[in-house]
Amino acid sequence: MTEKAADSDWMLSREKRAEQFFFALPRRAVWAGLLTFVGYYLGSKIGFALTFQPHPISVFWPPNSVLLAALLLTPPRIWWFLLLGAFPAHLIAELQSHVPLTMVVCWFISNCCEALIGAGLIRYFLRDRIRFDTLSDVAIFCICGAFLAPFLSSFIDAEFVKLNRWGQDSYFEIWRVRFFSNSLTALTLVPAIVTWYDFRPAQWRGISSARALEGSALFLGLVIASTVVLYNASTNPDPVLFYAPMPFLLWAVFRFGNRATSAGVLIVTFLAIWSSAHGHGPFTNESAEINARSIQLFLIVIAVPIMLLAAGIQERAVGETKLRESESRFRIVADAAPVLIWMSGVDKLYTFFNKPWLEFTGRSMEQELGNGWAQGVHPEDLQRCLKMYTEAFDARESFVMQYRLRRNDGEYRWVSDQGVARYDEHGKFAGYIGTAVDVTELINKDAALRESEERMRLAADAVNLGIWELDLRTDEIWATNRRRPLLGWPASGKVTFEDFISGVHPDDRDRIRQLIDQAIEQGKDYECEYRLVLPDGIVRWMAMRGSAHFDENSKPARLLGISIDITDQKLAEEANRNLVHASRVALLGELTASIAHEINQPLGAILSNADAAELLLESESPPLDELRKILADIRSDDVRAGEIIRHIRLLTRKRAVQMESLDINEIAAEVVRLMEVEAHRRSVSLHTEFTAAPATIFGHRVRLQQALMNLILNGMEAMADTPETDRRLLVRTATNGERRVEISVTDSGPGIPLEKLPRLFDSFFTTKEDGMGLGLAIARSIIDAHRGRISAENNSDGGATFRFDLPIGATAAG
Amino acid sequence: MSSPVSEKPVVYVVDDNDSLRKALTRLLNAAGYEVRAYASAGDFAISERDNRRGCVLLDVRMPGPSGLDLQEALAKEDEPLPVIFLTAYGDVPTSVHAMKVGAVDFLTKPVKRDVLLSAVRMALARDARLHTSHEQVRDLRVRFAKLTPREREVFELVVAGRLNKQIAAELGISERTVKVHRAQVMTKMRATSLAELVHLANKMGSADS
Repeated sequence: MTEKAADSDWMLSREKRAEQFFFALPRRAVWAGLLTFVGYYLGSKIGFALTFQPHPISVFWPPNSVLLAALLLTPPRIWWFLLLGAFPAHLIAELQSHVPLTMVVCWFISNCCEALIGAGLIRYFLRDRIRFDTLSDVAIFCICGAFLAPFLSSFIDAEFVKLNRWGQDSYFEIWRVRFFSNSLTALTLVPAIVTWYDFRPAQWRGISSARALEGSALFLGLVIASTVVLYNASTNPDPVLFYAPMPFLLWAVFRFGNRATSAGVLIVTFLAIWSSAHGHGPFTNESAEINARSIQLFLIVIAVPIMLLAAGIQERAVGETKLRESESRFRIVADAAPVLIWMSGVDKLYTFFNKPWLEFTGRSMEQELGNGWAQGVHPEDLQRCLKMYTEAFDARESFVMQYRLRRNDGEYRWVSDQGVARYDEHGKFAGYIGTAVDVTELINKDAALRESEERMRLAADAVNLGIWELDLRTDEIWATNRRRPLLGWPASGKVTFEDFISGVHPDDRDRIRQLIDQAIEQGKDYECEYRLVLPDGIVRWMAMRGSAHFDENSKPARLLGISIDITDQKLAEEANRNLVHASRVALLGELTASIAHEINQPLGAILSNADAAELLLESESPPLDELRKILADIRSDDVRAGEIIRHIRLLTRKRAVQMESLDINEIAAEVVRLMEVEAHRRSVSLHTEFTAAPATIFGHRVRLQQALMNLILNGMEAMADTPETDRRLLVRTATNGERRVEISVTDSGPGIPLEKLPRLFDSFFTTKEDGMGLGLAIARSIIDAHRGRISAENNSDGGATFRFDLPIGATAAG
Repeated sequence: MSSPVSEKPVVYVVDDNDSLRKALTRLLNAAGYEVRAYASAGDFAISERDNRRGCVLLDVRMPGPSGLDLQEALAKEDEPLPVIFLTAYGDVPTSVHAMKVGAVDFLTKPVKRDVLLSAVRMALARDARLHTSHEQVRDLRVRFAKLTPREREVFELVVAGRLNKQIAAELGISERTVKVHRAQVMTKMRATSLAELVHLANKMGSADS
């Protein structure tokens, strides 16, 4: 099917082509053929007329050139028709001079060969109709049409002449004569025909009278000069006279172009040959052959440079016109462009600025040219700007740079300047061209946006905050970059709600899902804490707050939220709970003995007193005085027991006591008294050294006592391995000039290992193998809360001293 | 040299807590005991006891030497007074130690009257019993001291269950002489029979050991 179609297409196109040949084209082809016939015939006649006598030597043979010009002016597809048209002309002209028919046909063949070689080669190299208005046109024509074609075809011609045994001349004589005559004819006649072919009589009308006058003067001058030199001159003239036509030819070249020049050359040629053929002029005093060659060389030498000169001048003129036109077009475009345009040359200096640029800067082209533009660049940007331009320039790379350029009102505006290397039509680097656009508004907007985003991001980062958004329609979660690793997500890529849920601790999933569903349904805010399981199994506590947002149809569209990693807070809370509990347990354990001792004393006394009273009452005459005393003692012991109990409750109950003014000595004394039993049990001799100065602080009695007690217990424990007789513990109170009071506990133990000093008060750090090490941590937190300072140091004479100080009379925090 | 056994026993109360000491004194007085109270172990140690028998009611925890220290010191005496410990907070290691050293009892404050009085009673009975046996041994030793060296040799061999003939052969004296010495021993030791002599010898020996 397709083959058939292609087949029929081909058929069709072939038919069409045939149609073009026989119907569409022939109209012009017939004219061309007819003109060729006429031209060829006339050319032959002229050729015969200009033949030197007596021995006929053709100096100037037009038919071949007429045929060559015809071929050059027509497309190759109708060349056959032109040859067809030339053939009868050839026959008629040649047969009149009684040449045998075979010779006539052979000459036609060699003539056709010349025209075909010339036209074929010229067409091949020029790929266009020849116009003789450029140097390349003329050069190619001279080489191909005026040299190669006659050169090659003359061998054929000479061969034919020899084959037909026509004439007595030698082979090379025949070749030489024909070559020179055909070459000269091609050089002078073909350009004239080709350049005048386009001429229309209408063109005369556009010519001013001055120009017509000048043309006429030139024509007359040339004819007269040529006639004088070539016709009237003696047979041996002054060689200078040969140059007489030259000024006129140059006049034609410079003032009238190649058309007039080719005509001028043709006139000179015709006059020279005609004169010689008729026995006039300088080329008559030798044999016909020599005369012919001389005149031919003379004319070739004149024609070739003059034609080249004409073409060169024409070409340059056209080029200049084109350039002017293109430059003017560019300028119009550049000035109309809504951007600032500049251009620079290969020396990096600026060569052009468009009108918008000059209007923008308010400066003149002269001011801006070279490096003048740099004066408008903001001083802070100039170095960077020049560096970038120079570097890009040297690398021939395009660049985009932003800098501040002073506007005509003095304000510096940010412009984005984009430059690219430019090359001329030959691909040679010609400099740079660039456009600049005022981007101040953009940059301001951009900067404001960036700044605001940056502020938000910084703020979010500062509080370890993740910001995220769930698009309910696409089920895609967007999150700040920080949020992603926080959730164990990859740095990029789509994340869905299910991805998020799958990262939540299984125990929390349902709760979160429910909460978020609720938030979406009811459009309310939500807040929750949940555990997040990271890919590496680490569990983080997260706090999440968010709200649902609705689209224009009141359908839930987005969930916006923030998340904070609260793992640290959670851990701290837990640790604190543990700490408090542990400290209470430890404290209770340590205190049990003291408490029991303290409270059982009065209880024992009460019981024994009661027992005694009972016994005394059993006697016959109970001693009433004694009984009264007993009862009084019972009461006072009871009161004492009550006090002790109250005291213990204060020690153990959380926040039982408000802040109050406390005497530091009293605090220390109470603790020492409580610790005496413990000291005894541990065989520690307990000493006190209290300040005599009144030292009142503001704080929690029980907490401070707890802190001190912990220090004392710590000191006692430190002396576990010290010989019993050396176990001494000193509790000191003192005031110092800073309006602070200090309580210190000095033991006689081994001291604190140096490496443990820095972390001594950290939670869970202990120098004791079995201890929880909480005592010191508790002490520190209590002292910290009282704006106190706690420290420890080794004594010069052995043992360690733990001390804390408190501001006198100051209000504690918390 | 030896104090009259009939003297009323004394309960020595050693406690640093004034009110408790006072209450205990009252109670024991009311129960019919003579009480001497001391505020510390030191006070008790330097006091003149006139060899009065009795028992010590001792607080464990006191400033200065503790109750345990005092007990150890008392145990070194010839006729140690029985000790009843009284403590506000009885921890196991302390009580075990105290009982090992010879405490009669280990009471916890507040102590019930019956418990206290029976402990005191027991302690005094023990002291009395120990004191009696001490007196007897002392008497036997006085009697034994009156024996001549030869009589002591005979005494020991008789108590060891040797026959007169064996004793004579061992000492290289006649059986007759042995009989004379034996009669002297029985008289001086105020023993009526060989069995009684052996009993006295045992009693004396156990006190020695």
